[in-house]
Amino acid sequence: MKHAIGRNRLGLALLLLVLLVSCTTTTIDEFRQGETSIEGHESVVILGRRQASDYETRSEFVECVGERMTRGENSISIVPEQEFVDAMFPWFEPRTAPLRTRDLERLMTEAVVADRMTEFGVRYIVWLDGFTETTDRSGSISCTIGPGGAGCFGFGSWEDYANFDARVWDVDSLTNVGTISTDATGQSYLPAFVIPIPLIARVEANACSRLATQLKDFVNGS
Amino acid sequence: MSRMSGSMRGRVRTALIFIAALYLTACGVSNVVIEGSFPTPNINKLPLTVAVYYDPVLTEFTYIEYSETGNEEYNIASGQSHIELFSAVLPAMFDGVIVVDSIEEAEALGVDAIFAPIIEEFQLALPAKTKLDVYEIWIKYNMRLMTAEGDYIADWVLTSYGKTPTESLRSVEAAINAAAIVALRDLASSFSLSFTQVPEVKDWLNTL
Repeated sequence: MKHAIGRNRLGLALLLLVLLVSCTTTTIDEFRQGETSIEGHESVVILGRRQASDYETRSEFVECVGERMTRGENSISIVPEQEFVDAMFPWFEPRTAPLRTRDLERLMTEAVVADRMTEFGVRYIVWLDGFTETTDRSGSISCTIGPGGAGCFGFGSWEDYANFDARVWDVDSLTNVGTISTDATGQSYLPAFVIPIPLIARVEANACSRLATQLKDFVNGS
Repeated sequence: MSRMSGSMRGRVRTALIFIAALYLTACGVSNVVIEGSFPTPNINKLPLTVAVYYDPVLTEFTYIEYSETGNEEYNIASGQSHIELFSAVLPAMFDGVIVVDSIEEAEALGVDAIFAPIIEEFQLALPAKTKLDVYEIWIKYNMRLMTAEGDYIADWVLTSYGKTPTESLRSVEAAINAAAIVALRDLASSFSLSFTQVPEVKDWLNTL
């Protein structure tokens, strides 16, 4: 009986720990500058900003947001980033991509760019800019290996912080119709008692999910 | 003294092979051959026939990155990828493109111009050295354009830059390749869009 109580207590403590680490805090901030709506035949392209010198928006995050926007109610047709950038080559490379809507206006005077944009049915361009960084690393884990086996002991923890901005450009009116910002933080733990047990806060995944939901509503005009 | 059991001997042998492999990988230079595909630029073609001469300085170009202790760390070969890049870019820029083996061969063809690019400088920045979470590559080119007779038209410098973020399950070699491909795309975009803006090229085009 004593053993059973002890096991239950340990199980509860582990469950509580998992629940605690599963928590990430996400803040979404929306700034609307124009009316939006999208027809069934129109699509959205999500592009990562890659102009900064010390970081670049990961294509996996861009893909994640796009993939989530194609799911569920009011889903939106998304043009894959690489397919769009390749088809538009060399106009959407890091050095040549439009930085302001004024640049897009100038770019659309190129017949080949305007034709491609029509072919894809792009109504909105979403520029994603941001990154996830790891801060406050603490603790240590040591692993040993010997003829009898191997094992790790220790405890490590770190905090992840994700910050992404999404600027939405209307290709019809060639204006910036709004900006959605997302901030997400979460603490991850790595206790190791023979085997390391990673309890990871899914900070970037949460930022992606919340941003995609907000973007979908924004583009649909709701 | 007791003899080692079969399983124990096997384990020791595995451990020795593992250690030997570690030593070998630690001492050797990693060869990286840049590989990738390049899209065709969406630009207006110039009504010109151009002969292209790929100098061995370009086709056989390799860059060696040394470790802080002075050992060869990475040997990067990018010659073939440059040929693939120009093969995708030049036919989109000119009506006719002929690849030649020498300048003399090009002179005999009576083309409008001869184009001969070379690499002047290559730089690699690894996260382990810069402490940034990106791999970076800079390449400096010398673009040479000559008349069908081999006379000078233009000779200009182009730099290209590419970077890629660090990723946990990607090898250094794969990251170097990814950064190089971004740099090559950067070269293609700036070369194709700025070609007619080079003052000497502009002057020459006005005389045609």
